[in-house]
Amino acid sequence: MLYYSRMITIKGVSKLYTDGTVGLKNIHLQIEAGEFASIVGRSGSGKTTLAKLLIAEESPTRGTIEIGGWNISRIRQRDIPLLRRQIGVVFQDFKLLPSRTVFENIAFALQVAGAPPAHIRRVVPQLLEIVTLEDKAHKYPVQLSGGEQQRVVIARALVHRPKIIVADEPTGNLDAINTDEVIEILKRINRFGTTVLLVTHNRDIVNRLGKRVIVLEDGEVVSDVKHGKYRL
Amino acid sequence: MIIYSAIRVVKFAVQNIWRNLGLSFMTVTILIVTLLSFNVFLAMSVMTRFAVATVKEKIDAGIYFSPEATDQQVQEVQEFLRTFPEVKSLTLKTRVEVLTAFREKHKNNPDILASLDELGENPLGPTIVVSTFEPGQYTAVLGALNTPELQKIIEGKTFDNNQGFIERLQLITKRVEQFMLGVSALFIVIAFLIIFNTIRVAIYTQREEISIKKLVGASNGFIRAPFLLNGVMYTVVSIGVAAGIIFASLGFLDGYIQTVFNAGFSLTEYFRSHWLVFLYQALGVLLLTWLSSGLAMRKYLRA
Repeated sequence: MLYYSRMITIKGVSKLYTDGTVGLKNIHLQIEAGEFASIVGRSGSGKTTLAKLLIAEESPTRGTIEIGGWNISRIRQRDIPLLRRQIGVVFQDFKLLPSRTVFENIAFALQVAGAPPAHIRRVVPQLLEIVTLEDKAHKYPVQLSGGEQQRVVIARALVHRPKIIVADEPTGNLDAINTDEVIEILKRINRFGTTVLLVTHNRDIVNRLGKRVIVLEDGEVVSDVKHGKYRL
Repeated sequence: MIIYSAIRVVKFAVQNIWRNLGLSFMTVTILIVTLLSFNVFLAMSVMTRFAVATVKEKIDAGIYFSPEATDQQVQEVQEFLRTFPEVKSLTLKTRVEVLTAFREKHKNNPDILASLDELGENPLGPTIVVSTFEPGQYTAVLGALNTPELQKIIEGKTFDNNQGFIERLQLITKRVEQFMLGVSALFIVIAFLIIFNTIRVAIYTQREEISIKKLVGASNGFIRAPFLLNGVMYTVVSIGVAAGIIFASLGFLDGYIQTVFNAGFSLTEYFRSHWLVFLYQALGVLLLTWLSSGLAMRKYLRA
């Protein structure tokens, strides 16, 4: 588990793609443990690239990324699963297994890590309670609303009790009511001490949160305000 | 923890097959067809070799001496032939034995028998029957007898009549073996491509699940293991079914095969005594499925 006051440290990170596209340009960021930070910007500004670098789905061309003091810039292939068990990830497109129930989808993340069945039976109901889906445990994703599906994803992201949650456009496919529910859950998780990194272009959410706002533009950080508002 | 992971690997492997029942069935069917074809070639090859060996066994050369040849001279020729390493066996038939055999052969032809009786004495000389290890060696062995001295006492050699047959047989055997080798090689390549593609499709249908497993922290080994176990399952089932079909078919065909080759040859017995052939084929199939799975999964297992 990661216990570190500076949860995420990004130093001089650039990401260049082989076709010449610039994903990120010389990014410097520091996110403290327990912080709730929103990363905003237009499409193509580098928000998702940053999220992908944090979960080692991509590696930086230059610079270093430290997660809880662990330099993951050149992480070994075999260490990636360990990193991903310490960072909860929430995506816009849910990424739930359609052939498994809500309970099974959440349990799946514990199963791949070799958790004993008794642990799974104990933890999954607790997570379902956090995202208020206790009564939907045996439903399939297709039987749930978009907001409910995203809450399942959040529950799954929490199975390993991560110190960081990276949520990349988690409300992109949701209506206003479901969006509020998901954001409320993220805020609640943050109150428990989990660092939350919210990638979004939803102005209302960012303005209502009143938390740190990092603005990206053409792969560069153009603004970083402690209690900011959405502005491009 | 390892035991839980192992149990889950088995569970996921069974789920892979169950959820892709059609593709799994197709993969196993192709493997069975490949194995059956390979074993048909193998059986054909074994039968051809046995047939060639049987024919070779029956080929020998006769050296016919004139009735005037003395026992001493015949004995010397026999000793001379024994010095050849190519000679497998020598059988001497005395004049009496040759006459008895001749009478037996022509017992239904009273004219020949009457002519023999009219002659009053045995007109036939002794015979040496020579067998060599390979048909091609007769020419050299019998050629050594073409000396003016021996030609006076040797009336004839029957091998010349068989030479063309032996050459044809050797040519046919060589061609059949080349053809089988070529067809087997081609078949293995085709089988590899079909199986590789089938497994690739099976893995492609599960690319979403693979990406989710990676996302939630599954190791590449944990993701790969169910597919490798599927390879083992495909191998066991396909070898089992193919062996069952082969033995059932041979049980039916062996009677006919024995009629052609006479007693002493049984394909069932051959496959029973060469059971390692199935083990090698199982290893081959396993390698094929693992290689296909490995190549197909490679792109989904990158970070």
